[in-house]
Amino acid sequence: MEAIKPKSLEEVLEYKYKYKNDAKIIAGGTDLIIKIRKGEENPKVILDISTIQELKGIRETLEYIDIGSATTFTKISECILLNKNLKGLKDAAKSVGSPQIRNRGTVGGNICNASPAADTVPPLLALDSILVLERKGRKREVYLKDFFKDKGRVDLGEDEILTRIKFKNLLKNQGLGFYKLGLRRALAISRLSFAVFLEIDEMNRIEIIRIASGAIGRFPMREYELEEYLTGRIINEDTLKEAESLLERIIFERLKGRQTAKFKSIAAKGVFKKALLNALYLCKGVNEFEKN
Amino acid sequence: MNELKIVGKSIKKIDAKDKVDGTAVYPQDIYLENMAFGVTIRSTRPHAYIKVDTKEAEKIDGVIKVFTYKDVPGKNHHGVVLKDHEVFASKKVRRIGDPIAFIVAETKEIAEYAKNFVKVEYEEIPAVFDPEEAMKEESPKVHDRDNVFYHFKIRRGDVERAFLECDVIVENVYKVPMVDHAFLQPEAGVAYLDEDGRVVVIASTQYPHFDQEEIAESLGVNKDMVRVLTPAVGGAFGGREDITVQIHLAIAALTLKRPVKTIYSREESFLAHSKRHAMKMYYKTGALKDGTLLALEAKIIGDSGAYASWAMNVLRKAAVHATGPYYIPNVKVDSFAVYTNNPFTGAMRGFGATQVPIAYEQQIDILAEKLGLTPIEIRLKNCFREGSETSTGQILEGFIPLERCIEELKSF
Amino acid sequence: MNLKKIDVNINGKDYCLEVEENLRLIDLLRDKLHLTGTKEGCGEGECGACTVIMDGEIVNSCLVLAFQADKCRIITIEGIEDEIIKNSFIEEGAVQCGFCTPGMVLAAKSLLDKNLNPNEEEIREAISGNLCRCTGYNKIVSAIKKAASIKRGGDSE
Repeated sequence: MEAIKPKSLEEVLEYKYKYKNDAKIIAGGTDLIIKIRKGEENPKVILDISTIQELKGIRETLEYIDIGSATTFTKISECILLNKNLKGLKDAAKSVGSPQIRNRGTVGGNICNASPAADTVPPLLALDSILVLERKGRKREVYLKDFFKDKGRVDLGEDEILTRIKFKNLLKNQGLGFYKLGLRRALAISRLSFAVFLEIDEMNRIEIIRIASGAIGRFPMREYELEEYLTGRIINEDTLKEAESLLERIIFERLKGRQTAKFKSIAAKGVFKKALLNALYLCKGVNEFEKN
Repeated sequence: MNELKIVGKSIKKIDAKDKVDGTAVYPQDIYLENMAFGVTIRSTRPHAYIKVDTKEAEKIDGVIKVFTYKDVPGKNHHGVVLKDHEVFASKKVRRIGDPIAFIVAETKEIAEYAKNFVKVEYEEIPAVFDPEEAMKEESPKVHDRDNVFYHFKIRRGDVERAFLECDVIVENVYKVPMVDHAFLQPEAGVAYLDEDGRVVVIASTQYPHFDQEEIAESLGVNKDMVRVLTPAVGGAFGGREDITVQIHLAIAALTLKRPVKTIYSREESFLAHSKRHAMKMYYKTGALKDGTLLALEAKIIGDSGAYASWAMNVLRKAAVHATGPYYIPNVKVDSFAVYTNNPFTGAMRGFGATQVPIAYEQQIDILAEKLGLTPIEIRLKNCFREGSETSTGQILEGFIPLERCIEELKSF
Repeated sequence: MNLKKIDVNINGKDYCLEVEENLRLIDLLRDKLHLTGTKEGCGEGECGACTVIMDGEIVNSCLVLAFQADKCRIITIEGIEDEIIKNSFIEEGAVQCGFCTPGMVLAAKSLLDKNLNPNEEEIREAISGNLCRCTGYNKIVSAIKKAASIKRGGDSE
């Protein structure tokens, strides 16, 4: 194994061009180092991007919030640029591992590993994020929702790396909610998570809703059927009940034959509801379903 | 009365300063000159005859020697009560994790690499994982004897007649799983020869004096030729009562005449040491209308895994505590320790007294519910007091503040 | 295995070292420099016994490769001179087997360097990456509370 610590993004792309798939990117290393030691990964070259300034940090442009791929979970959870309507993203970042893991682990790693249980991916999906992928001399953009091809497999060229993640900043009547079910509070891999992006009018009618789930399929994914059902409806107890039963059917169908199907399809209802109510709370500033 | 100097005072631990400074020495922190490193080859099958070939591994540059059962100078066995563990498996492995060989090399990296070249041929034989299955005559035998190796009985009063007199009887089966101690410091140790030619073994252990005996027996030397030093111990909770690294290191140091160190990974630590006994508990408890407990019949089956370790003591204790802290005049308890091809079980905090409350306390709650009593009322009615007689005939004397303790709970 | 040259500052001292490319930071600290206060409990970032401070933030040294620490500042338990935290741990009975203690002290240090008035929730969050199998955590939490209080100028709680 050859270990290289490039000094700039340009150098990273140069090495990636030279070594292609033989070169594995390491940032936080919180997954890769374990895999290397277990013999599950045996890269010829590793490129450390953990100290490349161009890939770190969060900025706001005219239209977008733009996060560098080597930004750590700690930086995301503490970022003041992410306003309170984006609480779901911060909550997700804060739910990763432990302080030590969050100080090293990066959002880019979370996305590119394509683990079904990646914590920050559902909120980024619900935000309809766009990924910026770069290779030597070329840059392209792809929607996060189209990025995952299979468990652990993503739409990334052999000489390409993920450099930035961007999404539109939220308006006042929009909110991003997140909820995760883990076996314990710290260091628990997500058993189930939901993120909900919500835009409502003053009558609580859903104008736009984007729902993403984690740890229910081969990779985190959008729940289009549920989105379609909820769009245009007024949020009340009945709508929520209907949505929950629909979700239960969808999840049970998806996990059919797996041991977890029954548990997850029932648990998903509660987790989804909490994420939705978190989002609603951010849109309204109050929780109208507090008693629940 | 003179003022007590220590009782009732908060005393600073003598080694706390070293521990907060990070200077306390655990075995993995010891580095000696010319020190070799050892790694253990363990069984990957639960029940199989084995053939071991170490030739290829020993050809590797930097590998000093690969030890197997053939290299044990004394007795190839150990065990806290029954000597049913082998230092290295000779003919057969009885669980996943049984030690088969110990590779000693110049560095840890070489030793790890050489693991790939020790050939273990397994001829798998039927295994048994459920202790109740293992109790049947036709089930595979883990050792050359019946799988049930311990049966403890308590007989008091006349249970059969007493059940006829009971107004309510509750019958249930309870199961508790194995638990790992997961002490934070994985097993590690260093062994070397001192200037007098004695084998010195430094290991985190709960029993340096037992270890000394077992090491000496496996080396075939007198006890005074073996010294066991216990440095800082990173948690134990019962999980360091059985031998792990000690004998392997001692044999290697004695044979090679140089210091040898080994450190287990967390995964290997899970494979190497005992677990809390999984138990299956059949409980039948009967009471009168007013809540007075009259009879208990219990059958407790403890899964000892592949080795006995402390199973007799643990299953005896489980039986002795089977009534809980409640007076019951008619009691019939049978507890069994059974070999299976599971991880072996041994000492862990409570030593058998921890499993049975899952059964007896729930029995009491269910009885209370059936009788329309509160959980507190039924406990106050039956709890041990000064002068109470336990199911084994012990008269409790001295300070038995259980009643007060239960009274205090009323306010919650 | 190739060797890689790195410059790293450990506990205020500059080192210029040659390290194997797959060597972990924890192995560098323990096996090469014999700074054995940094402990390995699991090797996969679950237990926090290997915690060190890297450029001001706590990290698991079992999940950092040594070459990644090039040009970084590392503080291990041997470099912590905060007697207030250490004494609070001793006095509150927060030390038992001691294997988690260095990591706990570093996590506490990292918290109190940023927040001198943490509430219980914040303390528990700050040590959530560190496992202790002996104490049940309560005494560790009260030790950190006590240290915070002394640092704020009070005697103790």
